[in-house]
Amino acid sequence: MNSVDEILDYAIDQEQQAADFYADLAGRAEKAGMKEILLDFAAEEQSHKQRLLAVKAGDHKLTPEQQVLDLKISDYLVEVGASANISYQDALIVAMKRERAAFQLYSDMAAKVPEGHLKEVLQGLAKEEAKHKLFFESEYDDRVLRDN
Amino acid sequence: MNLKDLLSPFYVWQRAFEKPYTSIRPIQERPGAAAYRGFHINISEECIGCGTCHKICQNDAIDMVRVETYEGRSGDSGLRPRFDYGRCCWCALCVDMCPAGSLRMSNEYTWITSDPTEFHFTAGVEHTTWQDNPLGYHRAEGYHLYPPKRIEMEMLPPEVSVQSFDEVVAGYSEPQALLEADRCIECGICVATCPAHMDVPDYIRSIRDRDYEKGLQLMYRTNPFPATCGRICTRRCESVCPVGIQGEAIAIRWLKRFIVDQIQPQDYARILADQTGNSGHRVAIIGAGPGGLSAAYYLRKQGHAVTVFEAQASAGGMLRYGVPSYRLPDADLDKDINYIVSLGVDIRYNTRIGKDIRFEQLLQDFDALFLSTGLSVPSSMRIHGEEHPRVLSGLQVLADVASGRDPGVGQKVAVIGGGNVAMDAARVSRRLGAEVTILYRRRIADMPADTEEIHESQEEGCHIVTQAIPVEIIAASSPQQVSIKWGEAEMVQDPKGGRPRPVLQEDRMHVETYDCIISAIGQGSDLEFLSKEIQDQLAIEWGKFAPGEYQHTSLQKVFVGGDVANRTADAISAIEDGHHAARGIDRFLNPDARTHTDQEVN
Amino acid sequence: MTLVTGHSAALDFAQPDPVDLSSGKYVKLWQGPQHPGITGNMSLELVLDGDTIIECKTHVGYLHRGFEKLMEQRTFIQNFTVVCRIAVPEPAFNEYLYAAAIEAISGVQSPPRAQWLRTLNLEMMRLASFLMWIGGQGGAFGQYTVANWSLTYRDYVLDLFEEMTGARIYHMYMVPGGVRAGLPAGFEKRILKLMDDTDKLLDQIERVMYNNVVFKARAKGLGVITREMVDPYGVVGPNARASGFRRDLRKDEPYLVYDQLDFNVISGSAGDAYERAYLRLQETRQSVNLIRQVIAGAPSDGPFQADMPNLLHWKVPAGETYVKAECTRGEYGYYMVTDGTEIVRRVHVRGPSYTHAIALMERLAVGTNIADIAGLMVSLHTYPPEIER
Repeated sequence: MNSVDEILDYAIDQEQQAADFYADLAGRAEKAGMKEILLDFAAEEQSHKQRLLAVKAGDHKLTPEQQVLDLKISDYLVEVGASANISYQDALIVAMKRERAAFQLYSDMAAKVPEGHLKEVLQGLAKEEAKHKLFFESEYDDRVLRDN
Repeated sequence: MNLKDLLSPFYVWQRAFEKPYTSIRPIQERPGAAAYRGFHINISEECIGCGTCHKICQNDAIDMVRVETYEGRSGDSGLRPRFDYGRCCWCALCVDMCPAGSLRMSNEYTWITSDPTEFHFTAGVEHTTWQDNPLGYHRAEGYHLYPPKRIEMEMLPPEVSVQSFDEVVAGYSEPQALLEADRCIECGICVATCPAHMDVPDYIRSIRDRDYEKGLQLMYRTNPFPATCGRICTRRCESVCPVGIQGEAIAIRWLKRFIVDQIQPQDYARILADQTGNSGHRVAIIGAGPGGLSAAYYLRKQGHAVTVFEAQASAGGMLRYGVPSYRLPDADLDKDINYIVSLGVDIRYNTRIGKDIRFEQLLQDFDALFLSTGLSVPSSMRIHGEEHPRVLSGLQVLADVASGRDPGVGQKVAVIGGGNVAMDAARVSRRLGAEVTILYRRRIADMPADTEEIHESQEEGCHIVTQAIPVEIIAASSPQQVSIKWGEAEMVQDPKGGRPRPVLQEDRMHVETYDCIISAIGQGSDLEFLSKEIQDQLAIEWGKFAPGEYQHTSLQKVFVGGDVANRTADAISAIEDGHHAARGIDRFLNPDARTHTDQEVN
Repeated sequence: MTLVTGHSAALDFAQPDPVDLSSGKYVKLWQGPQHPGITGNMSLELVLDGDTIIECKTHVGYLHRGFEKLMEQRTFIQNFTVVCRIAVPEPAFNEYLYAAAIEAISGVQSPPRAQWLRTLNLEMMRLASFLMWIGGQGGAFGQYTVANWSLTYRDYVLDLFEEMTGARIYHMYMVPGGVRAGLPAGFEKRILKLMDDTDKLLDQIERVMYNNVVFKARAKGLGVITREMVDPYGVVGPNARASGFRRDLRKDEPYLVYDQLDFNVISGSAGDAYERAYLRLQETRQSVNLIRQVIAGAPSDGPFQADMPNLLHWKVPAGETYVKAECTRGEYGYYMVTDGTEIVRRVHVRGPSYTHAIALMERLAVGTNIADIAGLMVSLHTYPPEIER
């Protein structure tokens, strides 16, 4: 992947895969109420995708210089499996970890390319993922850690 | 007559050339004195619409009127005082009485308008030219129309309380209760805020009248757990009590307890004189906690036969297994429960639905069902090493102690969490002789535990470490011990608002070894007893039921309530859920009868 | 008909023979209720033989607001805003006595600072009331200049009331248990300055009014209250002291901080309007002096209200009391009965005007020249509102 468009296409595809992942899990979810929640997650990923499509079309700009808060919640949690019997807490952990992995990926790629537009796009994508991670971590902080 | 007397009147001439006394308005304005009682100023944002100004006004010059802006604010009636200057005598008792301190007066002398209806105005809502005038009458410091300070509650000194499971709070004596009851300003803001809408001002009045039997009757109209709530209620009433704004809130909880303490269990039946008929309908209740038993009480009063299925060996739910006896002695919990049971409630102990009896069976056998199964599954931290055998759950420790078992916490304990379960687990451990450290990820102010519980934990020697985030549980050298790795946190303001969030500082990690770690970070519901088909029919969000207006669900004849169906997860909300579900069930069972007015349910 | 005059007849309360109005020899004249020579809304029904009054009947009822009954409908704290209206020029005595009665029954003790502030308030009230009276007495004899001077100074006292209490007339300052506020900053300085100015004013008033040959001629010998009349007619205050009695509750049964103040009871002997006027002038000076003493003695900090129960629904214990204080016109008393509820059972307000303006006035008017009737009325210093409680 060398061109900006390729990178963006990859990122868009990743978001679509994530949406599909949650939609699939929602279809199998056993715990009461989890189906709706997982569909919400899928919708959230779809919105990420729409955002990147807008970036690609030039209607929207990435903001690599933006500061995004890192709550570091997911960093120390155990890996959990995405089973049909998934609980809300675990679903959030899965989501946080996925966003964290994506963030890592774009950050690592950005570190390897020379200064330039491509680097900026990768950094911008990393920031996007950091924002997504913050979204799920805030949700975790608000819901799972509500009484804590 | 002498000459001097004849001439003396002419001395008036000596003042003929002095400056006149009078001033010429409007060229020369004379401002009012700094504390002049001029026109009313109400800071509407600070006003809570308690109506005490209206109550003390002997001229009926103040009406409380609805102001949309403030509707729905917590602890706010949404009303604001409207002044009628055709009746006002500018005595300013309203200002003196205002518990919010939002009401005062400007020092203006004159108000001229061609429209006389303007003299009837809602201060602070309608525009007045003096609203921002800093001068004028206000209540002087050191002057009160009611005592602002609470009558202090006697408690066991911490060095004594930590020695046993005896009740820490002594309760008011009659003279103390009378003094405290006297402080109430009878505004009723508490009634609106109480989840059960208990008639607080009236039962406090019954104390002033020393008519405790009347007080008990009033309490049972909305709450069949007064002995319990008089001890451990989360008392949202007190947090909105207007007297607390400039002083200390009325000790509503202790007053409730005082009433119940005055009455012997054997007198309940005579005083309450509850009638229980026979409607021919049978209702099953799952869970004998406060929600289930509250429903049972009101359902019995409606004449329905009630069977309660309880998985444990005793009734009370979290009240018995989650609240230690130094806060709620068994005898007082039993006082509430025994009276409810005495109305003919059939409780099947040690009966777990889904195991001993299938839920579908109940659906078949009963005319209506009420589910109040509570939150019984401890939340998991989901950090590495959590499954270590020396990591105990707070709920289990409390249940062990309540059942007379030794939870085996050891001598050095770390408790993780900031809620009441965490505080109680810590205090129980202190009573078992352990040295206790509480690790909490945010600040003390963020702790969901009752402030009194936090304070008492500290008094009893629990060491609270705030902004401490657990990241890993590590096996210690001895299997009897366990280590925890935790990092310090910085509180960071979320740009989107809300409470600040703790952010782990990875360069400031600590490792400490304990005899056990008690995890008390919250609990969730256990809905395993419901099949997937049934779960799908019940609206479940975030692991909790989302009932309709009458605690009903989309599954016919199934009603839900208590911790498993509300956000607040406290006893008083569960009690109200039970009461409200009883109303709903009665409507459901008697759709045509005119018996389901609130009076009938009461 | 028989004219009842002179010392020997003073105690004769027998009704005189009715006057035959149809004879054409007499004129019936109503003075009031809207006459400036009347000290409020009451009226004198006068029968004149030439310009001499031979019969006087007093009429009240123009001002009835039923305060005492009203108080039986309101809570104790609410009544505190009502009582001040019973005597418009002297609300403070009502405020004080209402609070004192409740305190006597309930056993509440107002803190020392409150007692000093109450004394200050009452003496300021006395000063303001006397200054108004001087204007009335001067005006009744045509000396309107003096009236303008003294009423202005009364207003200066009201300015200080406004600062101290938040209101000029109905101060509503003395609550059961204490007072509503301490003194504002700089108040002491301002009141002492006014006291110095008032001293000068009183000297000037004495010179132009009391030494005025016309005033002397008309006031001397007018409305003589003899020593013998004082007790049977229930005469109190300056009216009694001008007839030779040394009676002053501030000295005889000291209340508040009067036992800590240095003053003597002033008395006269002649018992006529001039003597009463002169005595009041001296008492005005005495009041100025007492204000200075109170300002010097009053503590500047400490509580000014006792620890009170919740006044919104205070049930004053059942009891009965009579409390009294020396107002400008003599003994002012509150009789109070409580029954342990939130509402007072009965309050009776005893103001000096009842005896002075009715029985005594009817007696003194007879034989008086019609031109002096206003001067006589004012010289008794009465307030009709306090007759009609």
